[in-house]
Amino acid sequence: MSADMNAAPVKIVLLYQSLLGIYGDHGNAVVLTKRLQQRGIDAELVPISPGDPVPTDGAVYLMGGGEDFAQTTAVHELKADGGLFTALDNGAVLFAVCAGYQICGKSFTIGARDEIIDGLGLLDIETRRGPERAVGESLSRWTMPDGTVSLITGFENHGGWTELGSDATPLTSMEVGWGNGDGQTDGAVQSRVIGIYPHGPVLARNPDLADHLLSTALGHELEPIDQPEIDALRSRRIEAVRAGRP
Amino acid sequence: MLAGRTAALASRLSGRGSGASIRGKITTKLDPKAFAELIASRRIAAVTGTNGKTTTTHLLTAAVRAGLDDDGGQVVTNADGANLHHGIVSALGEAPQATTAILETDERVVADTVRLGHPEILVLLNFSRDQLDRNHELAFLGRDWRSALAAAGPDGPMVIANSADPLIVWVCQRARAVVWVDTKPRWTADSTLCPNCGGVLIHETDSWHCPDCPLAQPEADWWVDGEEAVSRKGDRHHLDLQVPGHFNLTNATCALAAAVEMGISPDDALAGMRTVSSPAGRYATTTISGTKVRLLLSKNPAGWTESLPLTASDPLVLAIDAVAADGKDVSWLWDVDYEQLAGRMVICTGPRALDLAVRLDYAGVDHVVIEDLAEALDSPLLAGHWDDDHPIDVLSTYTPFQKLRRLGGLA
Repeated sequence: MSADMNAAPVKIVLLYQSLLGIYGDHGNAVVLTKRLQQRGIDAELVPISPGDPVPTDGAVYLMGGGEDFAQTTAVHELKADGGLFTALDNGAVLFAVCAGYQICGKSFTIGARDEIIDGLGLLDIETRRGPERAVGESLSRWTMPDGTVSLITGFENHGGWTELGSDATPLTSMEVGWGNGDGQTDGAVQSRVIGIYPHGPVLARNPDLADHLLSTALGHELEPIDQPEIDALRSRRIEAVRAGRP
Repeated sequence: MLAGRTAALASRLSGRGSGASIRGKITTKLDPKAFAELIASRRIAAVTGTNGKTTTTHLLTAAVRAGLDDDGGQVVTNADGANLHHGIVSALGEAPQATTAILETDERVVADTVRLGHPEILVLLNFSRDQLDRNHELAFLGRDWRSALAAAGPDGPMVIANSADPLIVWVCQRARAVVWVDTKPRWTADSTLCPNCGGVLIHETDSWHCPDCPLAQPEADWWVDGEEAVSRKGDRHHLDLQVPGHFNLTNATCALAAAVEMGISPDDALAGMRTVSSPAGRYATTTISGTKVRLLLSKNPAGWTESLPLTASDPLVLAIDAVAADGKDVSWLWDVDYEQLAGRMVICTGPRALDLAVRLDYAGVDHVVIEDLAEALDSPLLAGHWDDDHPIDVLSTYTPFQKLRRLGGLA
């Protein structure tokens, strides 16, 4: 994947927003696309509906939160299409949040009877209904590739708790909130598939994570962006969650 | 009831609220059966849905009062929007002589209202994502309503229902009788999957259907054409409302259909509805910090999608909070098409103004952040951009809206 000036626009592929987009999750796609454009890189947001062929030449693929029925339908459609798997084999990055994170795993449960559903098998994780629902602002510590720590601030809302197998690595360590369930870690990384619980526009509040996804997909570092409003929002949210305020 | 009234007065005096919900809390504490007893003995019309409950309740109340020639004694309503058990108990307890109750009913109280109140009429306006931090799945509330209507059987209400909303149509499959109103909504993001079988619904210009099961949009009994409410029988009624927006034309059509089912003549109903101007402060104009403003309330992405196109002023003021009454999660800001505001100046205000500012930044909309509401309306940016006929529009979530009403002397 390269950002050659003469190449086609970098594609940010938003998967099934109608199924996996209940928490404003398309915000993550807007953030990634705009952050490329702000740096003068030609980028294009490509929304894909169920039934549309999933392109295999995207740079970053995104999945968001959704209800039980929607999760099952999304898994079925993505497996039947196959394009996402080809894209990942070609070196694309997948970033999935909330229900989208859960369906990346080996299995998850839905419905009042906790029916076990096979996931996409892209992350070595399994999700089962937890003893309580995890709802609220969360804060966790993500160690970036250069070894420095970036705080991840977001809002989580999920009934499933997730256990990681040996092939997946936790993305962050929790400071406030449930994360994967036990309040110790949140999310998982395996190759170029990254999942985490805070849903919706989590990348809007966490530009380091957004830029990490982009630079991984493009294969080179990106120049920093001056963003005083995002910095102000981050410090406000971090202060509030540490003080236990909404 | 006296203890309840005293607490309500204290609540009003302390400036914390209209007093209605506090009065209700004390009353149900004194008598836990109050809700069942107060609701059982009257003629009830209940109004629910994610958006439009308060306005539609005001419209239907005005229609029924006009039809019954009522000066306020026969018909009781919870006009202040206090729509949980407590708020309903409070309103009913204040009017023991009233024989008819028009009740705005929170989504979570619908099943109890059907079970205990045996309403004659139930208006189901719409169903969309709202406060997901506490209503985790839309489908859950839908199942709750559907079982209540099924359990009511032949004693169930006449339902006035939105035929454009698949979840509502599914809920009504078990209802005794339904009058369908086609509302042609702008927001359809919460009707992707069939609530009956999970199939992917097919939306066409004028209708929707499921390819995998028989669920489909029913033929409408009422719809809106321009400014007119039209019935399948061929009647056309010019609505001529004071409240603005396409969604209020459909709210009024639902209220008209309900009033007609209650035996009110359309002319009386229309005359009543035309008196409604600012239900519980919505669309009211007032002066705050020396600026003439019009107050608009929107609580969720479907509401913002309908309300944003109504706003006309430049600059425009948007007020955001995220305490319990607003929903604690502001992710929904990304579900709203703020991109349509490009070219106008937005003043972001309220405790969560910064969340909105980042959203607007990514939407390419010019904005400033002034978190304090009174200061925002005192901004020099507003000077010379309004007059008495063209107030500054202020669109708010629930908590800032109530604060603005108090700042403007309306509550």
